Amino acid sequence: MDVGSVMKREVVSIRADQTLEEAIRLLVDKRVGTLPVVDEQARLVGILGLREILQLCWPTLLDMLGNYDFVRDFGVLERNDISAEDRAKPVGQLMQPATRVEVDCGLLRAEAVMRQHQLRDLPVVDEQNRLVGLASWVDVGVAFLRHRSLSQDRP
Amino acid sequence: MPELISWAIFLIALALILTESVERTIAALGGASAMLIGGGLLGFYSEEQAIEAVDVETLTLLFGMMTLVALLQPTGAFEYLAIQVARLSRGRPIRMLVFLGAITSLLSMVLDNVTTVVLIAPVTVLITEILGLSPMPFLITEALLSNTGGVATLIGDPPNIIIGSAAGLTFNDFLVHSLPVVLVAWAAALVLLIWMFRRELGGGPVEPAVLQGLDPGQALRDTRTARKVTAVLGLTVVCFLLQSQLGLSSSLIAVSMASVALLWLRPPMDKVLDSIEWQVLVFFAGLFVIVGGLEASGGLQVLEQLALRASAGHISVAAVGILWITAIFSALVDNIPITVALVPVIQHLGTQGVEIFPLWWALAFGAGFGGNATIIGSTANLIVVRLSERTRQPITSRLWLRRGLPIMLITCLIGSLAFLLALPLFQR
Repeated sequence: MDVGSVMKREVVSIRADQTLEEAIRLLVDKRVGTLPVVDEQARLVGILGLREILQLCWPTLLDMLGNYDFVRDFGVLERNDISAEDRAKPVGQLMQPATRVEVDCGLLRAEAVMRQHQLRDLPVVDEQNRLVGLASWVDVGVAFLRHRSLSQDRP
Repeated sequence: MPELISWAIFLIALALILTESVERTIAALGGASAMLIGGGLLGFYSEEQAIEAVDVETLTLLFGMMTLVALLQPTGAFEYLAIQVARLSRGRPIRMLVFLGAITSLLSMVLDNVTTVVLIAPVTVLITEILGLSPMPFLITEALLSNTGGVATLIGDPPNIIIGSAAGLTFNDFLVHSLPVVLVAWAAALVLLIWMFRRELGGGPVEPAVLQGLDPGQALRDTRTARKVTAVLGLTVVCFLLQSQLGLSSSLIAVSMASVALLWLRPPMDKVLDSIEWQVLVFFAGLFVIVGGLEASGGLQVLEQLALRASAGHISVAAVGILWITAIFSALVDNIPITVALVPVIQHLGTQGVEIFPLWWALAFGAGFGGNATIIGSTANLIVVRLSERTRQPITSRLWLRRGLPIMLITCLIGSLAFLLALPLFQR
């Protein structure tokens, strides 16, 4: 079984010259956590996730300490917002290099790649590096389990 | 010729440290190797001499104290203390600055101040940020006050350990001769800091309710271990206080107390050893070897002649001179090389009949207070600056100079006045 058969084929993507404001609107409207960044030929050039955008309003403080159990209320930090200046920046400035796999990549390999790069969504490309789908950790894991339990049900 | 070679090696190593083109540990190791190769070829420095030059007493004392801190570190005890004192301040910025500064200083008088700052500073950022305050004044204050406070005790600051080991000073010697000056210098630094940060700290209490929502109990991840290590640390301080009665060396106290704690807690040793700052120990060992070569080549004679001429006058003037030279050097390069290099020079003066007891304290004050002026002056400074780069108000070199230099000047001035006005304080 390969990642091409479990991925989502309708992917919300964005271009590098669009603004962060547009990216934020897409994330909110479509309720997605990852935006693959593509060029005019639909080739994958980068990735912009919820994490990169939230980093702009959630302070980096969230990875300074190993323990947050003692903080019941984050006070004024809860009310942080993304500045208008940041919102006007092009997506290209904030996007990260994209880890990608090809459609024929096996599920276990997809899982290994996601683990290694700590990803929740994995862009899938064809031989020309054109974005053809997006496989989430859940897509891969559930498909893997379904495949296993079905084969075990057989006599 | 050997003098020139050894000076060249020493100065190149210093230049590498100063320009930060390589990590200071690598510079020290490279310099030590170069000194041994040069010394071997020209016949002025052997490996046996190099081994003798390494002050094992200093390294062992550092290692013992680092082990105790490594055991305390994961328990959350530092976070617990920071939260407690922040709550006591009831959200009043000035009070919080004083309390956090005081607890950092107190801890760094007994513990390595780098570790103290590494553990207290992130909680400080968290507490100030959730209160809507800028972490900047608090971070700078913690580093400067812990540098200053550490000068008060034998184990508070690495230069003190080096000086104590070379001069045979005990823990109590520091309490008698250094603590009084440091108390005055510390208080003056605090007042000056509050004045310099008056704009940032202005305004009344901020969101005290949020502060009460911080639960120190939750920060303490391992109460039992924290209690045990604190008990051993307390016993360690008692042993240091009774050092002359017990007849134990400082390094033996530190290492045996570390062993007591390890036997009591039996932690996974690989994790404990991971938390030891090996780069510091290697840096020190390298410098001892480099300066040992400088001494063996006769290179230190230049300094010794200079120092002898300078100390021909009144001894308090010589002490003030050493204090400022050490302080300026510590601010610009690093306080360890100058301390290691001046130790044999002062020892030599002793053999020439100069009253050197006051000079040891001058060296300690210069090395401790001088590091306040610049970011590179002390590791604690570097740590809070790196942390501030992840906040909305990063600390720049210029900002540090504007706040740190006045603190260096006032603390060094107080040290100098002590020598000029209260010389008997520094005499046996």
